[in-house]
Amino acid sequence: MIRRALLATLILATLAPGLRAKNVDLVTLPKRHTVQLTIYNSEDITLVKETRYLTFKKGLNMLQFSWANTLIDPTSIELRALEHEKEIEVLATVFPGQKPQHLLWRVQSDYSGQAKVEVSYFISGLTWRMDYVSICDPNEDAMHFKGFVRVFNNTGEEFDNAEVRLIVGKINLVEKIADLARRYGRPVPRPGTKDYDQLRRKAARQSFDKAAEAMKGTVATAPKGIVKEGISEYFMFTVQGEETVPNGWSKRMRALNAEGVKFDIRHRVRAHQYGPRPVRFFIFTNDKEHKLGECPLPDGTVRVFRDNGRDGLTFLAEQKIAYVPIKAKAEINLGVDKLVVLVRRKVASKFYNFRFRRDNQGREWVIGWDEEQKWTDEVRNYRAKPVHVELRRQYPGDVEFSSELKTRVFDYRTIAADFTVAAGQRFEYPSQIVIHCGVNAKHNRVRVR
Amino acid sequence: MRGMLRLLCAFTALVTAGTASARIKLVALPLRERVEIQLENGRYTLVEEERIVPLLKSTAKSGNNQIDFSWSNTTIDKNSIQFRPIGILEGDKERPIRKIKGADGSTYDEIGVINVSYPPNENALVWEVFAHQGCAVRVRVSYLIRNLTRTFNYKAVANNAETHLLLRKYIQVRNYCGEDFGLTKVWFGYGGRLLYPMAVGQQEEIKMLLYRFEKVPIRKTYTYDWYAHGKLSKEKPFASRVLMHYVLKNDQANGLGVVPLEPGKVRIYIQDRRGGEAFLGEDWGALTPIGSEMKLNLGQSRDVVCRRMMEFKEVRVTRGDLRDVHCTIRYEIENFKDVPITLDIIEQMNRIAKQYTGKNPRGDAQWERLDRTSEEIRFSHEYGGHSPVLHVALPARPKGDAKVQKTIVRFQFVIRNIW
Repeated sequence: MIRRALLATLILATLAPGLRAKNVDLVTLPKRHTVQLTIYNSEDITLVKETRYLTFKKGLNMLQFSWANTLIDPTSIELRALEHEKEIEVLATVFPGQKPQHLLWRVQSDYSGQAKVEVSYFISGLTWRMDYVSICDPNEDAMHFKGFVRVFNNTGEEFDNAEVRLIVGKINLVEKIADLARRYGRPVPRPGTKDYDQLRRKAARQSFDKAAEAMKGTVATAPKGIVKEGISEYFMFTVQGEETVPNGWSKRMRALNAEGVKFDIRHRVRAHQYGPRPVRFFIFTNDKEHKLGECPLPDGTVRVFRDNGRDGLTFLAEQKIAYVPIKAKAEINLGVDKLVVLVRRKVASKFYNFRFRRDNQGREWVIGWDEEQKWTDEVRNYRAKPVHVELRRQYPGDVEFSSELKTRVFDYRTIAADFTVAAGQRFEYPSQIVIHCGVNAKHNRVRVR
Repeated sequence: MRGMLRLLCAFTALVTAGTASARIKLVALPLRERVEIQLENGRYTLVEEERIVPLLKSTAKSGNNQIDFSWSNTTIDKNSIQFRPIGILEGDKERPIRKIKGADGSTYDEIGVINVSYPPNENALVWEVFAHQGCAVRVRVSYLIRNLTRTFNYKAVANNAETHLLLRKYIQVRNYCGEDFGLTKVWFGYGGRLLYPMAVGQQEEIKMLLYRFEKVPIRKTYTYDWYAHGKLSKEKPFASRVLMHYVLKNDQANGLGVVPLEPGKVRIYIQDRRGGEAFLGEDWGALTPIGSEMKLNLGQSRDVVCRRMMEFKEVRVTRGDLRDVHCTIRYEIENFKDVPITLDIIEQMNRIAKQYTGKNPRGDAQWERLDRTSEEIRFSHEYGGHSPVLHVALPARPKGDAKVQKTIVRFQFVIRNIW
């Protein structure tokens, strides 16, 4: 277990401000009581909150806070009393020019004695992300869906006892923490450089060490797990208990575990979006019916396996999924399905409804015409189960579309049709389009007749 | 090197024979009694310092008093320096400057500045001051100084239901002017209210709480603007970002209205259910005069999903190259939040006209709403007639096993006379 120098120190200066010496201080070092890290996944920002007990005297109290070798945002550092808050008031926060990476709080107290205070600030250097594992049964009817949160410290060091909260959601930041850190005190290396990465790693390591130090000697009061809580537009995962991550590892904790999650399989034909071949999707809803719905599913990578029925697994796909709200549908793109074949053929083509331009010598040129095309989309299903196909096709120009099968307009240039192909069978989707060309083209849209 | 400001009071006339650089002075050094730094103006900082200046009676033989003001390593605007006698000290008491009646019947101040001289190649000036009698005078010296600046920032803590904010407004003073104002009491004048930071040292920054506004009502908005935000991703080509804002009004009815809210960074927190605070995000707050609204961007809502499709579009030629564009936009909206909300959809008619005709409308697009527009849509025009805002009320995510229903609305309109 590694013990590091403190990231930041909080010092209670015992001298009256008027008598404060420039370079000689007599100070006490109050011990941390708790440390809490709140890590955001959408931005490189971590909110650190630490509580300590300080002894105040009546009148003016001077508190010094200092830090070193870390990407800390000095503008974010705040002190607030958690006890006797009406009697303890922060009059001013002073950033002395002669002492970079220091600040002084002038605190007016009408209370004499010990009080709990909270110091909070933002640092850079900790990240977390979500990943999922899905193992579907051999028939592809239901899956075992597991989600894991993974906290990265990238320190190369061991840490333990971290009390960590993870925020799901996209927050708005107007300045980067590293930029803010650069403005005060010693310069911080540019992002992307080796020095910058080292500083980030150091910040992360020291933060975990702080948490570990604060948790030392405490006993977990709840079983290990992850508490989920909705807050405004965001969702918070609170990691409970004490954990140890070996040197150079990241910490992965199970946040979701749902067995028997039913899902639908859809084959999508959208050349403009996925390419010319049918793409297979697993679709399920993040709700109770699907043994989920306790919390949104954060952005993450899902790895899909299938039980091969011989106590082994088959790897199907690795895909990133975007945030899925509660009761919303999650779609996992498994890629092109080689067992479902689409063949598109132009069956016939003819031209008519010509319009001409005539010059004063009687010569004529075609300036407008209609082109009629007949197409067949043949879908062959080599799977042992029926497949449900969702077809969408975009047509540029002025197009009249017709088909014997039920087809609808998806948007002004896209048609959509759904059909099912039985197992081992083929299915034909016939269509006819009339394209108005040249001066015959009046619009730029497809119309279903 | 530390800057220096000196006020030298000569009891006798300066020896001015020869060159100005050979000035010889026998002086007293009146100390600063009080300093007030006026920070109302964002561009210029006015420093006002008070000193007690002993003056000799002006006579024909000795002449007037010469008061020398000089500075080094500071950035004082020489032309802005003013010398104003405030009162005369008589024992422990102070009385105002009186008017004196002259032999010719005219009246004049018993203490008055006759002229100001600027020695060449020096950061200094000399006031010639008339004194009716020998006395100690309280004077105020005012000047504009650079690199003594202030910024504002805010901390807003919303209650868990997001109906109110606790808004704290901080002022942060940055002293890089070269002068140390830490020798005596320093006062900040702002908005009719004085603060007492004790000292502002050289290269020091001081952050102080200026105002604390309790229970400021807020309105939370959800905004969808296709043309401003573009498509969400390749996988979701019809969806765009839904941005959330807190809107608060700077007036007394809403717990504010004391001062304009100056531009500054606003850090927004929310109370969690365990008595703590969670960080929600930050935004630059724009200058918000009294009676105006401040809009704070909270980031992207991912629980409100809106897909926008151009369901129908036809360009109809009316004559020659004069055309009308008939459009129907379909919105499919899902609210996965457990509270009902209103989504504000901004449509930019000029951009629609440009996209579907390839031509910019002359001036702003002339458009009309048509009958197939859904009745559920309420319209407003706070961004002007060319960018209507469509307000759509969305029910909360149903409880239990019920599924979230899509709210589908249509906006049918025609943009006329594009050529």
